Amino acid sequence: MKTKDDKSTGGDPNSDASWLERNVNVVIAGLVIACIGSLIAQLWWSPLFDAEHGHPPEFAIEELFGFEAMFGFAAFVGVVFLGTGLRLIIKRDEDYYDS
Amino acid sequence: MIHNLPPGLIMVLGALLLPFLGQRLSAWGALILSSLSLAAFWTTPELHVVTLNLFGQDLNIVRIDRWSWIFGLVFHLAAIIASIYALHVKDTKQHVAGMVYAGSAIAACCAGDLITLFVCWELTAVSSVFLIWANGTETAYRSGMRYLIIQVTSGVLLLSGAIIHYHQTGSLVFENFLGLEPGQRGSVGDLEFGPLLILIAFGIKGAFPLLHNWLQDSYPNGTATGTVFLSAFTTKLAIYSLARGFAGLEELIWIGCAMTLFPIVFAVIENDLRRVLAYSLNNQLGFMVVGIGIGTELALNGTAAHAFCHIIYKSLLFMSMGAVLHRVGTTKATELGGLHKSMPLTTVFCMIGGGAIAGFPLLSGFVSKSMIISAAGYEHMFAVWIILLIASAGVMEHSGIKIPFFAFFAHDSGKRVKEAPWNMLTAMAIASFCCIAIGVYYQPLYDMLPFETHYEPYTAAHVIMQLQLLLFAALAFVFLMKANLYPAEIRSTNLDTDWVYRRFLPRLIAHVGKLIQLIDSLFRFACLSMIKRFLNWLSKSCSARGWLGSTWSTSSMAFWAAALLGAFLILYYL
Repeated sequence: MKTKDDKSTGGDPNSDASWLERNVNVVIAGLVIACIGSLIAQLWWSPLFDAEHGHPPEFAIEELFGFEAMFGFAAFVGVVFLGTGLRLIIKRDEDYYDS
Repeated sequence: MIHNLPPGLIMVLGALLLPFLGQRLSAWGALILSSLSLAAFWTTPELHVVTLNLFGQDLNIVRIDRWSWIFGLVFHLAAIIASIYALHVKDTKQHVAGMVYAGSAIAACCAGDLITLFVCWELTAVSSVFLIWANGTETAYRSGMRYLIIQVTSGVLLLSGAIIHYHQTGSLVFENFLGLEPGQRGSVGDLEFGPLLILIAFGIKGAFPLLHNWLQDSYPNGTATGTVFLSAFTTKLAIYSLARGFAGLEELIWIGCAMTLFPIVFAVIENDLRRVLAYSLNNQLGFMVVGIGIGTELALNGTAAHAFCHIIYKSLLFMSMGAVLHRVGTTKATELGGLHKSMPLTTVFCMIGGGAIAGFPLLSGFVSKSMIISAAGYEHMFAVWIILLIASAGVMEHSGIKIPFFAFFAHDSGKRVKEAPWNMLTAMAIASFCCIAIGVYYQPLYDMLPFETHYEPYTAAHVIMQLQLLLFAALAFVFLMKANLYPAEIRSTNLDTDWVYRRFLPRLIAHVGKLIQLIDSLFRFACLSMIKRFLNWLSKSCSARGWLGSTWSTSSMAFWAAALLGAFLILYYL
């Protein structure tokens, strides 16, 4: 598609792959390492989850190892699946309101 | 002298002079006006009240306390950033509309009475619609009309509520309608009718569930620069007003929870990235409404802080999508991708905005949103706390990942456009700097909050837990993409509550109209038939052979004459 001001050159997407595009797996590996790191950090700093260090857990579930990690993963997947289901009901043609 | 005038008035009145500067200089004029207004506001003494007696009624046209100060300040910052962002625009009416809109929003948050609030409230509505209409398309025109009708309706409700409230209490002062102090809570059942109408007015402007869809309908139809203005003021003015008038109203907690949840589901499947941002905005308002409902000092501080940070990072996100719109001509995910190669700076700024809204440590959203979540925790509201965590993961999905990923990465669209203009980059750089500066050095923000606070966001536990939530949410995205379970971007329209007034009601009215037309034509037909039959009967009756037209015999005439005289005689004696 041409741009509004016809500034797009419409180049070949594969001819000038950026570093990120060539190293997607490195990025994913970095993310996995960061995830594992956050879990290890919880083990390492678990004594900080008490009243003396300014963050008393308000709910018992917070003390569960990796609770936020599991919750973040599950909530994200849940939201996406809900959205996918919702699409079946509410999706219409792009010009629905213009037709 | 200047401090006795409503803050923002410099911008409103100055905007009227902008057309005399011409197309090119009016943009610079807008920037100078917003800067001058900020300078005047900055030197206003704290706890400043100006009373004006109008028709025997004292109106607090200026009331600057800590609530007004923080909102007035961030509104000014947003106006300056948006003015820089719009420096290349050679459309004077957009600059005039932007200045009147921003100025009236600033004046509204410094209004101490309901009438001044109403005047500014309506002025924001009337001025802002020109930022939508400036797009020049039929779609934008229709969307702007819907926006205007809904916003003006909100104003009418506000005025009606104010009048009823005055009739009941004799006061027009804008304060907590339940008389609650921080930490106290009340319910809608305790509200009189006037404040109830005002709550609905605020709810419309604040995009409460089912009243929200004007936001997703209109903002994506604004101009690239106009939407940056729009994103900053209208809804946050509603948040300010709710915090001022209804802090501690319990129902707001659950309304806010609903607001945090439903937009994130819609955002997953939305193709227009500016509409995704509109849903995202709605979700962020939910956090603030929850804070207002909880009503403790920490929660209200969290609301004010989150509004402050939100205005900046949401402007940043809208600016990045505006830059894409300016260069590519669309913000539909299906037509984007790979733009990080040709718009690297915009990409970085967008990712900073995405990180800030998601609440990554060292960025602004982290130091504000966590206050509200902590406030829910401190009040032992487990369900609310869980909902806010789900919403946080949802924010990561739509704004932290979806917006930057589908615009700048994902499948390469092959588009190699120019980087955004220098003024757009400058505005985005300033907003990005603010996001990082607030995230790193948050104390000045905390010092401005309505109540004194000793909240410490950077505890090791808090940082680790937040990182776990966000990083594993990102991991979930990778998993879903790799497993082909993430819904593909599709060119489509997704129905929302605007379907009711854009499709259902017009069709219902059309069908009811047809039914009325049918009944009307049947009725007319029946009446005409009856009249026709009567005329035929009359015609026949009066014809030479008809019973009226024929000649009567002398005997029957004498009989009827005698009968009539007899009847007359009887009636006479009665």
